[in-house]
Amino acid sequence: MTFKTLMVESSLCTGCRSCEMACSLSHEGKCSPTLSRVRVIKFDSEGRNVPSICAQCTRPECLSACAEGAIHLDAATGAVLIDEALCTGCRSCILACPHSQIGFHPEKKLAFKCDLCGGDPQCARFCPTGALVYVGVDQFLMARRRALLKTPSEAV
Amino acid sequence: MTMVKGWTGKRLRVDLTSGLTKVEEIDRTHRKRWLGGRGFNSELLYKEVGPDVDPLGPDSRLIFGVGPLTGTFAPASSRTTITAKSPLGTPEGFGDSNMGGHFGPELKFAGYDQLVIQGKSKGPVYLSIRDDEVEIKDATHLWGRKVSETDAIIKEELGDEEVHVAAIGPAGENLVRYGCIINDVSRAAARSGMGAVMGSKNLKAVAVRGTGAVEIENPEEFYEICAETRDRLKQDAVAQLLHDQGSLLLTMPANYEHGWFCWRNFQRGNHPKAHLLSGERHRDQFLAHKEGCFACPISCGRFSRITEGKYAGETTGGPEYETLTAIGPRIGLLDMNSVIHNNKLVNELGMDSCSCGGAIAWAMECWENGLISEKETGGLALEWGDADLIESLITMIASREGFGDLLAEGSFRASQILGRGEEYSISVKGHDMSQDDPRGLGFAFGIGFATGRRGGDHLQGLPCLELTGAFYPGLVEKILGTSEAEERLSTVKKPEMERYQEDLKALGDSLTQCAFTHTWSFAVQLEDMVRLLNAATGVDYSPEELLKVGGRIVHLERAFWNRLLVGKNEDKNPKRFTEEPMPDGPNKGTVFPESELIPRYYEVRGWDAETGFPLPDVLEDYGLAEVAEELAPYRKRYHEKMAKTDKAVKAKPAVESA
Repeated sequence: MTFKTLMVESSLCTGCRSCEMACSLSHEGKCSPTLSRVRVIKFDSEGRNVPSICAQCTRPECLSACAEGAIHLDAATGAVLIDEALCTGCRSCILACPHSQIGFHPEKKLAFKCDLCGGDPQCARFCPTGALVYVGVDQFLMARRRALLKTPSEAV
Repeated sequence: MTMVKGWTGKRLRVDLTSGLTKVEEIDRTHRKRWLGGRGFNSELLYKEVGPDVDPLGPDSRLIFGVGPLTGTFAPASSRTTITAKSPLGTPEGFGDSNMGGHFGPELKFAGYDQLVIQGKSKGPVYLSIRDDEVEIKDATHLWGRKVSETDAIIKEELGDEEVHVAAIGPAGENLVRYGCIINDVSRAAARSGMGAVMGSKNLKAVAVRGTGAVEIENPEEFYEICAETRDRLKQDAVAQLLHDQGSLLLTMPANYEHGWFCWRNFQRGNHPKAHLLSGERHRDQFLAHKEGCFACPISCGRFSRITEGKYAGETTGGPEYETLTAIGPRIGLLDMNSVIHNNKLVNELGMDSCSCGGAIAWAMECWENGLISEKETGGLALEWGDADLIESLITMIASREGFGDLLAEGSFRASQILGRGEEYSISVKGHDMSQDDPRGLGFAFGIGFATGRRGGDHLQGLPCLELTGAFYPGLVEKILGTSEAEERLSTVKKPEMERYQEDLKALGDSLTQCAFTHTWSFAVQLEDMVRLLNAATGVDYSPEELLKVGGRIVHLERAFWNRLLVGKNEDKNPKRFTEEPMPDGPNKGTVFPESELIPRYYEVRGWDAETGFPLPDVLEDYGLAEVAEELAPYRKRYHEKMAKTDKAVKAKPAVESA
């Protein structure tokens, strides 16, 4: 089976944040950017929008930092998952993550993060432009390399 | 207490005179009756701002409203309505303006459906709202600043880049009558002078940061309806064209097929070189990237880069079609580079591009006809399409410098002050027309221009059933009983069409959901809006009931005007549209048939044929019995006013001959 991963092409992002709403509503049953695993960083004056989401590291520093053994890798999707039953809310993982991708749930007072929706990430499903895609890595990279060749002067 | 779903059920009220703030409850009955956004705001304006209130005085209200779908996954549910008595109208009357961006959802996440600002601060201030922490902060250092500078400084001093700022520019501070409010640097609540009202209160900006959630009654059902309507928008031809070209998609059909491209203050409806401002050309040569308002899968917003001339390399949000044409062809300019630069300038200075273009166009046509000379302009020659001159005029208007002071009054007031040139003010009730000519665009639109809540403006009903209705087989027939109404310049069922779309637009503005999803594209329909509302909030509306709420809002706004003794006599398009046949183009010879359509519209609405006031039993049917009662003395006074006007009109020829 092709291994898929969530890739970000920020030049396509319109900054609409549909991804944040899809994430928050599907995970939490309510609409709140604060509860979304994916966030869009907006630079209004520059007209730049950058989706920000967990990279699902192969050797996650959050996992190493968790003293409770609450963080594990999902074999099927490669997602780094937090077991709520084991999490104590100590926030070690939040500080350890080099990409600041772990949130602290305001009601549960526990860490939370992107779980790739079990292999069907809703942010990518509803991204209107393909700025967020859940694809095979090779497919994504080859499409990108091919696109670069369309403008020979910019191809490296 | 049961948890409120969809709405927050809270209104934040800030009094800038006393510095006091309070949170008020918006109860379930009120929420169901007025929905949110525009509905909440119009209700509050009617109740709290009587006919004698000065729009630029401390008793006026500046109201920000969002609705039950704002800040949710519902497609394009980001809109904010800002409402106040308008300083632009003649008389000063109803005013509101609607903006996209991300400010509205943030207000919702902070916990409020509505923000009401009243009183007047002694010195410049801005309002900071962080969830339940509300602070009035000094803004002396921000006064005179452009919008983007204000945005950046506030974010820096609050130490939070995720704050969303709605600000005025120098134009609002200087009480330019069409000063606007802008959020996220380039998303404008442009029309009817809301920025001047904000400036009159010495309020430079509102900065909001919310970390809360919008609760949803039936999350799974709501999610499925959102998914379904989003998928439909993705397949929808009109929505996809909006995504591809923004609203600039209109340039080519408006000019070459329909003949309503606004050339030189509506003197003509087409120009052979209009393609220079086409959506395709913009996309291929000027588009830096596409911008989306909150939760919008269409993302019609543009971010542009200037490619040639002295501003080459400059970037900015926009333009959309109305701005493109207001500060472009309406004033004789077809240079995309100039339009993009001047679009940035009007945004930074905080002005409505439509009224700004309307005022400049008025002055240029007066100049062309010898009604204005260098004596009035201080030496400026007001030639059509002079890009440098236009840039200077925009700056002079915002600072009310020299001749700009007159133009800052809006074209109609300017003509009254000058004592001539009224015929070149293409405006209704003192509000400059948007760049939409009913002699080509369509006759349902023309009804909205004459009777609309904020004068000549396409967003009264945005009756696109006559523009894009034919893209949706069976839709026009389903709603109006005949597909003949699809024809733009047919009079068949046009009053009924305008009525339907006005009510639909009012409820969309109240939910809040962008009109482009349900009244330009029709991918989202009334039935979907009902399903979204019911699933989000747990109310149990039928489509008919919900449409009736839209009608209630339209009628209350009408009553606001009636209370100012505005009715039938004031429901008039500019004479250019009703008396001057379109000189050439595909629609050559067309005039807007006002004398046929307005009486028919009154009949369809149940408005009195003599006064244009809604009849008492119609108001009662909309649940507005108290309004009917309140209007009674105004009906009488309006009759008296009309009698006086008739007498003056009849007496006039006699005076002249004597």
